[in-house]
Amino acid sequence: MSDFEPVLTEHIHQKDCHTLSFYKSVGGYTALEKVLKMNPAEVTQEVKDSNLRGRGGAGFPAGIKWGFIPKDTDKPKYLINNADESEPGTFKDRLLMNKVPHQMLEGMIIAAYAIGCQTSFIYIRGEFYKEFKMLEMAVDEAYESNLLGQNILGSNYNLDVVIHRGAGAYICGEETGLIESLEGKRGWPRIKPPFPAIEGYLQSPTIVNNVETLSCIPHIITRGASWFKSIGPEKGPGPRLFCISGRVNNPGVFEEPMGIALKDLIFERAGGIPDGKKLKAVFPGGSSSAILTAEEALDVNMDFDELVEKKTMLGSAGVIVMDETVDMVQACLNIARFYAHESCGQCTPCREGTGWLVKMLTRLVNGGGTPKDIDMIFEITDNIGGLIDFSKGSFGKTICPFGEAVAWPVRSFVEKFKDEFLAYLPKEKVVA
Amino acid sequence: MNSNGTPKQKFIFTDSGRMEKILSQYPDKRSATLPLLHLAQTQEGFITGAIIDAVAQYTEIHPAEVMDCVSFYTMFFRRPLGTNKLQVCQTLSCSLNGADDFVDHITQKYGTKPGETTSDGKFTLLKVECLGSCGTAPVIQINNDYHEGLSINELDKLLDSIP
Amino acid sequence: MPLLKIDDKEIQVESGTTILETAIASGIEIPYYCYHPALEVVGSCRMCLVQVEGMSKLQVSCNTFIGEVHPDRKVNGKYDMVVYTQNELVVKERKNILEFLLLNHPLDCPVCDQAGECYLQDYSFKFGNAHSRFEEEKRVRPNEYLGSQIVINHNRCILCSRCVRFTQEISGTSELFVEARGYNSKIAALEDKPLDNLLAGNVADICPVGALLSTDYIHKNRIWNLEQKPSICQDCSVGCNVDVFSQQDQIFRLTARENQDVNGYFMCDIGRYGFHRFEKIERISHPMVRNGKSFNVLDWDEAIKKTADLIEKSKEKTAGIVSPFHTNESNYLLGLLMKETLGYLPPITGEEITFPTKFRISADRSPNLRGVNDICGDLVKDFTSIIKTRDIRGLYILDDGVDRKLDDSWKDILAKMDFVIVQSYAMTELAKSAHIVLPGLAPFEREGTITNDKGRIQWLRPSLATKGDSKPDWEILMLVRNALHKESEYFADLGEVIKKMGDQFPNYSGISLFKIGTQGMALT
Repeated sequence: MSDFEPVLTEHIHQKDCHTLSFYKSVGGYTALEKVLKMNPAEVTQEVKDSNLRGRGGAGFPAGIKWGFIPKDTDKPKYLINNADESEPGTFKDRLLMNKVPHQMLEGMIIAAYAIGCQTSFIYIRGEFYKEFKMLEMAVDEAYESNLLGQNILGSNYNLDVVIHRGAGAYICGEETGLIESLEGKRGWPRIKPPFPAIEGYLQSPTIVNNVETLSCIPHIITRGASWFKSIGPEKGPGPRLFCISGRVNNPGVFEEPMGIALKDLIFERAGGIPDGKKLKAVFPGGSSSAILTAEEALDVNMDFDELVEKKTMLGSAGVIVMDETVDMVQACLNIARFYAHESCGQCTPCREGTGWLVKMLTRLVNGGGTPKDIDMIFEITDNIGGLIDFSKGSFGKTICPFGEAVAWPVRSFVEKFKDEFLAYLPKEKVVA
Repeated sequence: MNSNGTPKQKFIFTDSGRMEKILSQYPDKRSATLPLLHLAQTQEGFITGAIIDAVAQYTEIHPAEVMDCVSFYTMFFRRPLGTNKLQVCQTLSCSLNGADDFVDHITQKYGTKPGETTSDGKFTLLKVECLGSCGTAPVIQINNDYHEGLSINELDKLLDSIP
Repeated sequence: MPLLKIDDKEIQVESGTTILETAIASGIEIPYYCYHPALEVVGSCRMCLVQVEGMSKLQVSCNTFIGEVHPDRKVNGKYDMVVYTQNELVVKERKNILEFLLLNHPLDCPVCDQAGECYLQDYSFKFGNAHSRFEEEKRVRPNEYLGSQIVINHNRCILCSRCVRFTQEISGTSELFVEARGYNSKIAALEDKPLDNLLAGNVADICPVGALLSTDYIHKNRIWNLEQKPSICQDCSVGCNVDVFSQQDQIFRLTARENQDVNGYFMCDIGRYGFHRFEKIERISHPMVRNGKSFNVLDWDEAIKKTADLIEKSKEKTAGIVSPFHTNESNYLLGLLMKETLGYLPPITGEEITFPTKFRISADRSPNLRGVNDICGDLVKDFTSIIKTRDIRGLYILDDGVDRKLDDSWKDILAKMDFVIVQSYAMTELAKSAHIVLPGLAPFEREGTITNDKGRIQWLRPSLATKGDSKPDWEILMLVRNALHKESEYFADLGEVIKKMGDQFPNYSGISLFKIGTQGMALT
C-alpha cells in the first residue's frame, strides 16, 4: 500500500489548483473530451466495471444506479451532485470543492452525459458559503470555456449546472430529502418506491451522486475501470478520502486506498493521540456508525464489508477518535443531541425516540438516573433503529436510514462502555 | 395585515437581477424557494412576514408552505439577530477540542447566553450543530466565514478585530 | 391476478394494489394513522408495518404493492406474496410505535371529544401497553385556533399530517403546515392566513385522534350519547352523504359519510354547520287558519276539509307551487293535486365552487331541483302572466322554509290571491301570508327521495322525530287529495308513492328505498 499515489488530491497543495487553467494543465477535461466521443451506454458500462461505490455513506454502486434511469421516457433527466456534506466527522467534499472543483465538475458533466441529463444541480450545504462562491467561479469558468452550456466542445451535447444552497438540515444529505429540499419543500425523505432514478426531482428520473464519487469519474474514464478496480478490495475499490478528527495530533483528510488499516490511519497518517494518551473508541464512518472500542479499532481495515462484519459501517469514512480522557456518557449525549436536533420529525419512532433519548441521557448526566434507564436506552434505540444486526431483519423502522443513524451509535456507546453509564447513577441507587 | 391590524409593508428585492436569475434557473418556480429566502434574508437580516408573502408570490405557492420551509431549516431566522452571528459548532469533534470553552468565553466576554444578542446589537451567540469542518476543530462561523482551529486567545483577538 | 397469503387467508388481488388496501377490503385489521384513502401515501406513522416473507425489513403495508412474480420466485411455488400481520415481530413493533405516540400524550380521554371514536384509544386497547415507561417531563403546548372553527390540541397530536395533506391536496388551500422539525414539530397555520376555507371542517373528521376539534362541537357532548343516522345533506344540489349525530331532539354535529359516486369522503362547512339555522325558528306544529291578523289552531280533519273546500271552490283557478327543497314524493303529490298549473319560486343560488380534486359546492343551493324537473312536468316559468291568462285565484305552496326571502314580485302575486295555502314547518314570510297553514316537517325530520344534479337518486332519512301535530308533507298532500277526490289512492307508506311515481315517469320506475340504500342509485 505504500506505493499508493493520491488520485483525487494529487494536486491540492499546488498553487491555483482550483483554477480551470491549472486543472487543464494537469490533464483536466481530457476525460470529458474522450467521453463526448463515446456512446452514453459505454460510459455507464465503464463505471459499472470499475465497481465504484458511492462515497456519500450508503456505498451503492454508482454505475448500477445510473443504469436504473429508464431508457424509454420523454421526461427530462436530472443529475444532482450531493454536496450537502453533513455527517459529523466528515469534511472531505469541502476539501475537493475548495481545491479541485473542476475535477468534480468534470465528473458531473460525464455522469450527466451518461444518463442523458441536460440540467444538473449541485446541492451544497448552506453553511459552506466560501465553497459555494468557489463553485460559482468554477462553473462560470466552465461556461466560458464551453465545458458547460450549449454544444459542449462541439459535441451537440448541452448541459446546465445550477448551484443550489441548502439552509441547515442534516437530513438533506439523504437523497430524497435532498430532492424535496431542492423542490422548495422541507427536507422530508420520501417513501420508496418509487426510487429517484424513476421518479425523483419534479417526478422525473434523477440520479444523486456524492462529490467524491463524481470526482472519481474522470480518473476512471482516463485510466480505465481495471486500473480503478486494482486499488484496494475488489468489491469496493478505489482511492478514498478518509477524514480523521477528534483527539489526534494531525487531523485532516487523507487519501488512501480502500481497505487501509484503521490503526494506520490513526497512528501514522493522523500522527496518533496527543499527550501520549491511550485510544478509547473510534467512530469509523461518521457519527452514524456504531463506535469501535480501541481493541476493535486496532484490528480492522477500512473496507465496506469488513466493517459490516464488525456491526458498524464505513459510511462516509469520517473517523472520529476518542481517547481515554473522553467521557463516553457526555459523548453519547452529544451525539444523541445532534440527532434529536436533526431528526426531520416525519416518522414516529425517530421523532419521539430522539427526544426521549436526549431527555433521558440529560437526566442521567445530571445525576438523576436510575439503573433501569440503561436498559431503556437499549430498548429505545432498538425501537428507533433496530438491532445492529443485519441478519435479524429488525431494522428499517423509519422511511430513511436516520433511525439507524441515531440508534446504532447511541446503542454502541452504552453497550461498549456500560460501566461509565453506571458510574453516573447516584450511589445509593446503585446499591438499591 | 399583521395581528395588530397594521398593513404589512411589501417586501421588494433590491437585487432584482439576482432574483430574476434565480427564478430562471429552475424548471419550476417552487424550486426557487430556498435561494429566494437566502437572498431576502441577506437583504433584511431575518425572515419577515413580508418576505414570506413575497417569496410565496414569486414561487406561486401558499405563504404557509414558505413558512413550513423557513421553520424547517436552521439557517433561516425568524427574529432579528445581531450584526455578527457567532455560530459555535458544538458537535462531537469540536466539543472534544474545546468548543464548550468558546461558548463560555463568549458568554463571559459579552454577557450573552447562547441565543442572545448583545445590547449594542453587535453580536448574537448561537450554538450550532456540525459545520462539516471537524478536522480543524473547534470551529466558529461568523456570518458566512469559518474560523478554524482557533485558540481562546486567537478567538479573542478575532472578536476584538470586528469593527 | 396475483395470489396473496395474508396470515392464514388466501386472496386473489388486483395487481398493483397495496397490502393495506387489500386488508381493509377483506376485513383484516392492520392499524394505521397517516394513511387515508383520499390522500397521498406518506408512510410516516409506521403503524401499519407488517412482515413480508423474503424481505429483510418490516414493510409499511400502505406502500407495499402486490404484483405477479415470476413462477420461479413464488413462495411455496404458489403465492406472489406472503404477509404476516399478527406475528410476534409485527405485534411488538405496533406496541413500540404506540409507546412513542403516547409519550407526550396527556392521556386526557375523560375530557376528550374524540373519546369513543379515537384510533389512539382503540389501538392502545388492542395493541398497546398498559403503562408508560416515559419518566421525563412531557412536551406541553397550549391549544391554538387554526381557523375560526378549528382548534388544535397539540398535546394529543400524533403528527400524521393528514390535515396538512388535506389542505394541500383536497381543498387546495394549503393553509396548514408542519412547523419546525423533529421532536418540536407541530401543526400550524399562519396567523394572518387561518384555516377558513369551506372544507375546513373535514380536518376534524379525518384527524384520527382528538387533536383537531371543531369549535362547534367541542365539549358539547360525548360520542356514546349520540345517535348516528345516515342521511343526505340538503344544502346544495350535490347531495353529499352525511351522518347526523343527535341526542333526543337536538343535532350535535354532521360528518361526511363516504360515497365515491357523490362526495368521496368529505363535505363542505355550509352543509356541516347548516343544521343550526333550524334550531331557533318559530316552529309551526299545528294546522292553523287565518283569523284577521292572527291564526286559529285547527285539528287535522278540519284543516284538510277547509283546504279541500277552498280548492274545490276555485277548481282549476288554483295553482300549486312546488319546491326544490322538498322530496320527490311531496312534489309529485302536489303535482297530482294541481294537474293544471304548477309553478315554483325562483331558485336559491350561491357561488359555484369546485376544489382541485373536483369536490364541488353547487351554485344551486337546493337539494332537489333535478327531481322537481323530472317529476313535475312543465313548470310555469312566467307566473305573473299565467295568473292573468288562467285567472289564478288561489295557491297551494310547498314552502321552501327558512332560506326563502320573498321578492316583491311574489309579494304582489300573493296579495292578488283569494286564498293561499302554505305547507310549512316554520312561520316564514310565506306562511304569514297564508289563509291556511299546514304543518309539514322540517328538513331533518323528512323522509323521501331526492335527486342530485348528476341524476343520482338518494334516500333522505329522518334524523329527528316530528314535532307536535306536524305530518309528513307527502301525507298531508295525499289527505287533501283524498278529500277532494274520493276515488284517489290512499298510500300506506312512501314506498307506494315511489311506485306510483315510477309508473308515470319511466326513469323513476323500479326504484325502492331498499334499492337506493345508503349509497343511492343513478337514474337511467
